[in-house]
Amino acid sequence: MRKITISDDDFLKFQEFFYRKTGIQFETSKRYFVDKRLVERIEATENDSFRGYFTMLRFQSSGNELQALVNLMTINETYFFREEYQFHCLVNSILPDLVARKKDKSPIRIWVIPSSSGEEAYSIAMCLVERWPDINDWDVEIISSDIDTKILNQARAGVYSERSVKHVPRNYLQKYFRETPAGFQLNDDLRSAVEFTRVNLMEAADVRSYRNFDVIFCRNLLIYFDDISRKQAAETFYDALHPGGFICLGHSESMSRISSLYKIRKFPEAIVYQKPGDRK
Amino acid sequence: MAFIKKSTDAASTGADRVAERDFAGLIAQLDDADPATRRWAARDLLVFPAATAALVARLKREDDRSVREFILTSLTRLGDEIAVAGLVEWLRSEDAVMRNEAIEAMKALPDEVAPIMGGLLSDPDPDVRIMAVNVLESLRHPHVEDWLIDVIDNDSVINVCGTAVDLLGEVGSPAARASLLRLRERFPAEPYIRFATDLALKRIGEA
Ligand SMILES: C[S@@+](CC[C@H](N)C(=O)[O-])C[C@H]1O[C@@H](n2cnc3c(N)ncnc32)[C@H](O)[C@@H]1O
Repeated sequence: MRKITISDDDFLKFQEFFYRKTGIQFETSKRYFVDKRLVERIEATENDSFRGYFTMLRFQSSGNELQALVNLMTINETYFFREEYQFHCLVNSILPDLVARKKDKSPIRIWVIPSSSGEEAYSIAMCLVERWPDINDWDVEIISSDIDTKILNQARAGVYSERSVKHVPRNYLQKYFRETPAGFQLNDDLRSAVEFTRVNLMEAADVRSYRNFDVIFCRNLLIYFDDISRKQAAETFYDALHPGGFICLGHSESMSRISSLYKIRKFPEAIVYQKPGDRK
Repeated sequence: MAFIKKSTDAASTGADRVAERDFAGLIAQLDDADPATRRWAARDLLVFPAATAALVARLKREDDRSVREFILTSLTRLGDEIAVAGLVEWLRSEDAVMRNEAIEAMKALPDEVAPIMGGLLSDPDPDVRIMAVNVLESLRHPHVEDWLIDVIDNDSVINVCGTAVDLLGEVGSPAARASLLRLRERFPAEPYIRFATDLALKRIGEA
């Protein structure tokens, strides 16, 4: 078979298209990473050139090929208790602030996006059970979303490598996981605590029905976006939150540089962002 | 444990977000009484290039900050001539917050803003010229240094020149040196210009 190559023009075309679809911008320095995966999909779909493949990618009505490519191109790196100080902030500061204002006792809704393989959402569930004294008085709904369908299936299965559970406290590991030949498997109780859904944050149609959240965790996604996509993400969250609801970003991401829609809230454990307007 | 699961569909009662997402419906929703509906209309209009005029028109009437942010983002994304003209008008607003909003939006549009940059930098209103220099601050465009050199060679208002010199200190190359020296001579009695040009020259020298 002829060796397939991606020309500079092809790369630019693809870069622009993928950016529009996902908000993710591949710099030229990522060229090797991108080319390799493109060639892999071109071969897997039995196309013989970028051109044919690109046409298929753009016009396929099912969107299956775009999804396959997204699954390959995304960087899913994550682990349990990553940036743990925010979970302390959640149970010690954010939730007490929220429940003091939440008079109607409606469920507390938490949205984790991007989910990746689920470690973040499950870490939150564990922290709530173990460290939040009020957990028995409130219903909590955790929804964890990602654009990558393959990683979502992994999240639902809840089987993790040693590396991924490295920061899980010993006693939690014993309590919530079972060692299997495939890895550390999370118990059913915790697995059923989180709902996983496929969402492309940049797609208005995908996010439109996500609303009435009290807390949103959006960590380590915006770093892959450019300014305008970040701003759009911040705007999406604005309508997804209750007035007075909170957003937690990754430690290298700052809302002040993205959008002026939110107030900064400095809690002892972390800086988070709040949608103005208290909910009665 | 009190974890519950609902389908997200059930969780949302988003009828207003589903209804009439066609062009005419969305344009009408830009005038809805509910800011959330207006925000979503602004966002969904993003896929209709013909929407810029209506968005610019709404921007002028819009008094809700959050809605204005959504409109500006959509205008930035659409980024055609009408959108840029709308942003320029915004730049002239009396309200500092609005001017900053326009500056932020324009920074994201180097290719669309470039053709009108010359005009903005020679606008009769010195405040507009200063803001144009502010736009240059993070406009990733190959001509940024040339524009700045032009400003310090020709602008008669000291504050405009000062803003440009500050920025040249960050982005300037040896190509700016002669103009910086000339500027210092043009305003010999201004300690600020002396200080700023010296600093800029030093930074350029080190580069
Ligand atoms: C590095 S992981 C972050 C996981 C976790 N939040 C953390 O902080 O460890 C980034 C994830 O973002 C997802 N992603 C990329 N673009 C997305 C988009 N437009 N919408 C939703 N998820 C996206 C990727 O599939 C990937 O799983």
